[in-house]
Amino acid sequence: MTAISPEMTLPRPRARHNPLAPLATLAARRFQLSVRTPRELVVPLLTPILFALVIAPALKQALHTSAAYEAFVATGTIGLLIPLNTMFAGLGVIVDRDGGAQRELLAAPIPRSLLVLGNLAVAFAITALQVAVLIAAAVARGIHFNATATGVVWFVAAAALFTVGMYGVGETLASRVPKAEEYIARLPAIAIVPWFLAGSLFPISALPGFLAWFAKFLPLTHGLALVRYGLLGDSSGLHNIWSMHSATTMATLSLAVVAFFAAALTVISIRAFNRAAVR
Amino acid sequence: MQSRSESIPRVKQPAISVRQLRKTYPGGVDAVKSIDFEVAAGEVFGLLGPNGAGKSTTIGMLTTTIAPTSGSARVAGYDVASEPLAARSISSVVFQEPVVDRTLAGRRNLDIHARLWRTDPSVARSRVGELAETLGLAELLDRPVGSYSGGERRRLEIARALVSEPQVLFLDEPTVGLDPRIRHELLDVIGRLRDRSEITIMLTTHYLDEAERLCDRIAIIHAGKIVALDTPRALLAGLGHELVELRVNGDAATALSSLRTRGIAGDDAFTVGSTLTVPLHDRTAAHAISAIHDADLAASSISTRQPTLDDVYLQLTGARLADAA
Repeated sequence: MTAISPEMTLPRPRARHNPLAPLATLAARRFQLSVRTPRELVVPLLTPILFALVIAPALKQALHTSAAYEAFVATGTIGLLIPLNTMFAGLGVIVDRDGGAQRELLAAPIPRSLLVLGNLAVAFAITALQVAVLIAAAVARGIHFNATATGVVWFVAAAALFTVGMYGVGETLASRVPKAEEYIARLPAIAIVPWFLAGSLFPISALPGFLAWFAKFLPLTHGLALVRYGLLGDSSGLHNIWSMHSATTMATLSLAVVAFFAAALTVISIRAFNRAAVR
Repeated sequence: MQSRSESIPRVKQPAISVRQLRKTYPGGVDAVKSIDFEVAAGEVFGLLGPNGAGKSTTIGMLTTTIAPTSGSARVAGYDVASEPLAARSISSVVFQEPVVDRTLAGRRNLDIHARLWRTDPSVARSRVGELAETLGLAELLDRPVGSYSGGERRRLEIARALVSEPQVLFLDEPTVGLDPRIRHELLDVIGRLRDRSEITIMLTTHYLDEAERLCDRIAIIHAGKIVALDTPRALLAGLGHELVELRVNGDAATALSSLRTRGIAGDDAFTVGSTLTVPLHDRTAAHAISAIHDADLAASSISTRQPTLDDVYLQLTGARLADAA
């Protein structure tokens, strides 16, 4: 048996190294878990693809809308894909907590915020891939985009920040609900209902007065207006929100709204996680 | 990267030091009620008690996954509240429930632990190989953990905890839910840890044999309080070398009172249901049994035996450990 001594001289805890190293480990772990769960990758993509490639062309044919409407809906479906995918990613947090290795990670000598950020990194990467697939499929279907280099920057910034914010929503909800069933029950209200109000299938100006006013407060409305401004060169969505003349000013304001949404939800989600993780 | 073995002189500290530690959960449930203890370096220290006694909450506070309500706890001198990263960096924990990534291979589970605990990659690789051999995991490591049996998974979790060469290892009910054969295999594994490494182990259990076999000292915890703390031998010595156990047909408490009045039973005699247990101390069994017969108690059976930790627990808490668990 090992000798027992009343006191011990211990090594100093390991000096802090690059904080990205544990973040990379956590992200790699989450990615491996995600790719072993195909539903997390495929299911969120199905509905937007259906809208962009089947429903939008069908509406165009049935209602005799212009080709621009197909592009309008195709970009609008990005506003469905991002919430669905990030919310599905949030479901992984509950699985991790209930039957995975979350407690082991909580006992690791790393700041616990890295657990949230590692998951976010993977949700972000998978969402980016899915958005790229959606756009590629739309182009292959003959839908025309009108994007300049500057427009792509607006689009990428808006989509990226909105993804970060929506993942924060998913992570926060996952930290607050005890069971996956409860999480799934709330998913439509968070990921789908706002999509119908945010100018995805029609401009928000077509909504009844109160709903049009309400829609202006949805981060998704700002995100979609920016996506269309970036990919289609169409600033009407921004105008419906801000009623200004300068498209750049309106885009900057909407980007600020989405950035605030992303920052606030990231902070809230980390706090919610820490609160739920340590009893 | 600095290796675990590069000791830098630091103020000498007990491996674990707990002072007035208390945890009250929301709703007012007092899970741990102001406990104190110290664990020396290299010691195997057991927290023995039934489910709900506060064992896992204590481990949770020491591993910083549960916030203490008041009091302090230090792991290797690091305060778990103000220096949680330092406390976590020199410790590992094996949880009561399975805590693994089931879809990943066993080796990947170990690798993630090594990386998060910042173990040098070459050290981690050789350590994984060594642990796989020692714990009989070599053939399993590249299989998804979901295909492991309960015992294999538990061995993997122990291996994972050891990859980072912790100074302090927490084992929370390490053998609960395992079949007897696997349980004994695991007890061998934990027992070997005592022999081959300078590691402080704190384990919780409600199995008496486990505590007696593995632990240098045992704290018996009951309803959030430590009611006894000593070596197994000293705890048992408190009840003497032998005791008489009799089953009475009438009220056991009245029978006990009668035996006490006659000087046969001392203050440490106790009853559970219809069973009355009397430590003999300096009396002989023959003398005690004769006196019990003279007392004319309606005893349906009478026997003598050596005391066990169960008796210690029973005498201290008034409840049989196996029943409480």
